[in-house]
Amino acid sequence: MNAIIALSLSGIASLFLGFSTNRKNLLITTLLFVLVALGLNLADWNHEYFWFNNMLKTDNLSINFSSVILLSTALVVAISRSFGDDEEHTHPAEYYAIMLFAAAGALMMVTYENMIMLFVGLEILSVSMYILTGSDKRNLRSNEAALKYFLMGAFATGILLFGVALVYGATGSFNIHGIGEVVSRTKKGMELFEGGVILYAGIILIFIGLLFKVSAAPFHFWTPDVYEGAPTIFTTFMSTVVKTAGVAAMYRLLSISFPAVYGLWGNPLVWITCLTLIVGNITAVYQQSFKRMLAYSSISHAGYLLITILAKTPNTNGSILFYSLAYSIATISAFAVLMIVSENKPKDGKPDESFEALNGLSVNNPFLAFVLTVSMLSLAGIPLTAGFFGKFFIFTDAFSNVSPLFKNILVVAILMSAVGVYYYFKPIIAVYMKKGEIAEIQLPLIYKITLIITTALTIILGIAPDLVKNMF
Amino acid sequence: MSLITLIPLFPLLGFLINGIGFRKVPNSLVGIIGSAAALASFACALSLFLNFSGTPQLVHVFDWITVGKLNIAMSFQIDQLSLLMLLIITGVGSLIHIYSIGYMHHDEGFGKFFAFLNLFLFFMLLLVMGSNYVVMFIGWEGVGLCSYLLIGFWNKNVNYGAAARKAFIMNRIGDLGFLLGIFLIIAHFGSVEYADVFGKVAEGGYLSGDKTLVAITLLLFVGAMGKSAQIPLYTWLPDAMAGPTPVSALIHAATMVTAGIYMIIRSNIMYSLAPETLEVVAWVGLATAVFAASIGLFQNDIKKVLAYSTVSQLGYMFMGLGVMAYSSSFFHVMTHAFFKALLFLGAGSVIHAMSDEQDIRSMGGLRKKLPITFITFLIATIAISGIPPFAGFFSKDEILAHVYEHNKLMWAFGLLGSIMTSFYMFRLLFLTFFGEFRGTKEQEHHLHESPLTMTAPLMVLAVLSAIAGFFNLPHIFGGHAGLAEFMAPLFAHSHVETAEVSESTEIMLMVISVVAALASAIVAYVIYVSKKAVPAADGAESGLQKVIYNKYYIDELYDAVFVKPISALSTFFHDVIDFLGIDLIVESIGKLVKTLSAEARLLQNGTTGFYLFAMVLSIVALLAWGLQGFFF
Repeated sequence: MNAIIALSLSGIASLFLGFSTNRKNLLITTLLFVLVALGLNLADWNHEYFWFNNMLKTDNLSINFSSVILLSTALVVAISRSFGDDEEHTHPAEYYAIMLFAAAGALMMVTYENMIMLFVGLEILSVSMYILTGSDKRNLRSNEAALKYFLMGAFATGILLFGVALVYGATGSFNIHGIGEVVSRTKKGMELFEGGVILYAGIILIFIGLLFKVSAAPFHFWTPDVYEGAPTIFTTFMSTVVKTAGVAAMYRLLSISFPAVYGLWGNPLVWITCLTLIVGNITAVYQQSFKRMLAYSSISHAGYLLITILAKTPNTNGSILFYSLAYSIATISAFAVLMIVSENKPKDGKPDESFEALNGLSVNNPFLAFVLTVSMLSLAGIPLTAGFFGKFFIFTDAFSNVSPLFKNILVVAILMSAVGVYYYFKPIIAVYMKKGEIAEIQLPLIYKITLIITTALTIILGIAPDLVKNMF
Repeated sequence: MSLITLIPLFPLLGFLINGIGFRKVPNSLVGIIGSAAALASFACALSLFLNFSGTPQLVHVFDWITVGKLNIAMSFQIDQLSLLMLLIITGVGSLIHIYSIGYMHHDEGFGKFFAFLNLFLFFMLLLVMGSNYVVMFIGWEGVGLCSYLLIGFWNKNVNYGAAARKAFIMNRIGDLGFLLGIFLIIAHFGSVEYADVFGKVAEGGYLSGDKTLVAITLLLFVGAMGKSAQIPLYTWLPDAMAGPTPVSALIHAATMVTAGIYMIIRSNIMYSLAPETLEVVAWVGLATAVFAASIGLFQNDIKKVLAYSTVSQLGYMFMGLGVMAYSSSFFHVMTHAFFKALLFLGAGSVIHAMSDEQDIRSMGGLRKKLPITFITFLIATIAISGIPPFAGFFSKDEILAHVYEHNKLMWAFGLLGSIMTSFYMFRLLFLTFFGEFRGTKEQEHHLHESPLTMTAPLMVLAVLSAIAGFFNLPHIFGGHAGLAEFMAPLFAHSHVETAEVSESTEIMLMVISVVAALASAIVAYVIYVSKKAVPAADGAESGLQKVIYNKYYIDELYDAVFVKPISALSTFFHDVIDFLGIDLIVESIGKLVKTLSAEARLLQNGTTGFYLFAMVLSIVALLAWGLQGFFF
């Protein structure tokens, strides 16, 4: 797990780079750090290792998840633009360092073997995100968001930790494989073993901690407020890296420790999935702010990801990864366009993040308009984009599961993706059909390259999904 | 990369260069690139032809679609039929490309024109080279698209756009039949590869008149009717003359419209087992041949006459197919490609000289001003009228001889058609090139022979029109029927009844048709040269002539029977079903979602305390729900 070590060290190195006065170099250096970590991560391919006294375990699945996380991190770093020129109020070295630490935490969440590491990784990630959310110090919304996130996050972490303790009480182990063995052995021995109550409560509480992180309903309330208040660049980070890590952590736990007691957690999760899909999509319809709409969109995508975790077919690995990747690159595109357009036209001194801010974007900025369109189409799941195949794989998984329950989920999911089309087309309509005046926006080179990469990847994966799906 | 895959690649490259570089590639280079692409393909095709061993060659390019057991490959098949088609397409195509350099050089869309022309070649080559029905269908649709683009090439004229649309829609009707035919083939044979399908037919012990085969062949023939302009789907072809004249020559005379004949010859093994279909093919062909020829008698637009002539000649080819004279029909495809391309290009040369005038009533006496055009046009006219020893005589008489064996009545009608052919062609020739000039002074002043880029292709085609008959010289003239012999392996499995026509009958038939053709040419001479008759002005015709001049009002009939009712139906659907039914339902669902959303939004009230309360409630509910099983 050299990537975690590398990220931690380079995070510290970034802090020292903050003494240098040249802010521009920081971006390139950080990007380099992330790419080195990505390389180290891929170097472990096809090797199963235990690390730090069985605390972490790398396998191909975790390496794939790590790659998606590191790729998203790299793309987010690439669109950070060194956090502007405001030398007094922004501290890029610290932000980059914290992002690197957060990524290290995220990697732990996808490679943990011991529940303690899940908790440690989650906390590293969460605490970093609390700070980054509040990093716009002069902005009250940002401060409020950070405080809210922290309060609720602390609450959720407490619940997760309680759950870990209960599971330990029921099984006597922190090791996820160990837990899995005990659970399946006792399951065979008796219908309801004596620790059943404790085990169930433990599983549910761990779940709730993780569902909070991926913003599944009804634990999603923090999401819109925090997403809207946080600086857009960190919202991007939150909705891609944090979500992927949370989903991966949950999948790892459920598929290794608790497959034997599917009956215990399957039913509650079905309801949570449906609720998440409905709440996320329906509420998004009414939003006037693009950023807030994307927050609800992120909730709804958590719902889609939960479907395939539940369906647990042999294809689930590939489906989750493909969906996470498709979702992440499209989201990064969308936030990148939002960020640069909203800053272009401040309203009361703050970036204007409503749909109106996008009106008439296509006239002078056809490139940004196209990028936005592709990302929206992908999020809506329109064919020829990666998002379509993401949804397609997930729906296929759900369909191939024999349980009739999945047909119901599928109906909800398909109806809700129809609702999704409505609100994802709002920005497209604003960009192409509404009249507005936006002067040509100059994009930094690296920004432009990033957008080309995300857009091209979205289209390529939408035409030839097997290119990537087969790797997973 | 083998020579075979190169053939379609050259025009594709030409298309990409001229298409992407439109307005950037200089005009002088555009023509050279376009023509070079066609010539390069011709060279490859020729070298393949000369080195052809007699056994079909298959080239697998890539697997395109694999679904279940069905595998559709992008692959090419080179055999006798595709080789001959290749030579015609690339050969005549190259000549027309060269001609276009001169004809189109004033046009502002010069680069676009060559790009489309190359794209057309590419698809046409796919059509004839594909080793399965799906590749043929891709080419089929592709040439349809290019035909649409080129008919409407001068897209600022609304009428031209309408003509393009008409051609496209008419063809879609046919394509639907073709597509259904392909589906039936897939359903029945489980493959679309020619080799597999024909192999199964040959070994499957199918009886003559097998229902599936009749259905398949009929559906395929519907496709052929659309593309090759047969009754009732022929009305698009005369309108298609809106396109630039080289397009009419290449697409609407020499190549694309013969795709239907190619398809039937390709599937001859199935057709031979479906006599009912063959009967339909023969009668549709005959009706088209006579009907279109009669319309051609009184048309005054130089290109319209040629267009109806093309429809009529295609009818002859289908009639030949219908009596299983496959190689004779193909022979006629070939000779027709030469003389009809020549006629169109000659007409183009005339139009060019006349400053875009197409009405033959305003022409006359052009033979002195346009000597090369006149001589070549004359050769083509003799060839199409079936006067020996030029090409049309041999190919048409071969078809008529087979038809005579099959059905005497059919032959009589066929002869009638060929008499009319001879009449309208000589009428066209005399009105255009003989007598006094009837146009304006200004036009007369501008009259000039076309440049060499235009006349050279005319001369090459004139030579071909004169001698092509000897490629398949029948035995009675001491020939070897070389073409028929070359194509024989194609029909090896299809039980063609070779009813040999006796020599005396054959000679008798020839004499009759030659005499008839000559007689009607003389009649035309008397009317239009000796008596100097000029067709009446528009609206002054009377009686039958008026009906024929207005093409039997078929367009009006279609309009009343199909277009208007469908328009009315669509208005009904739009106003009633769509607005009152669907929109109402859809919009109320939308409103419902919006209302729900407005309510759900209120849950998000910004109070952390409420959020935590909701979380705690949910946790309690989840725990209570799960734990009740343990306690109760």
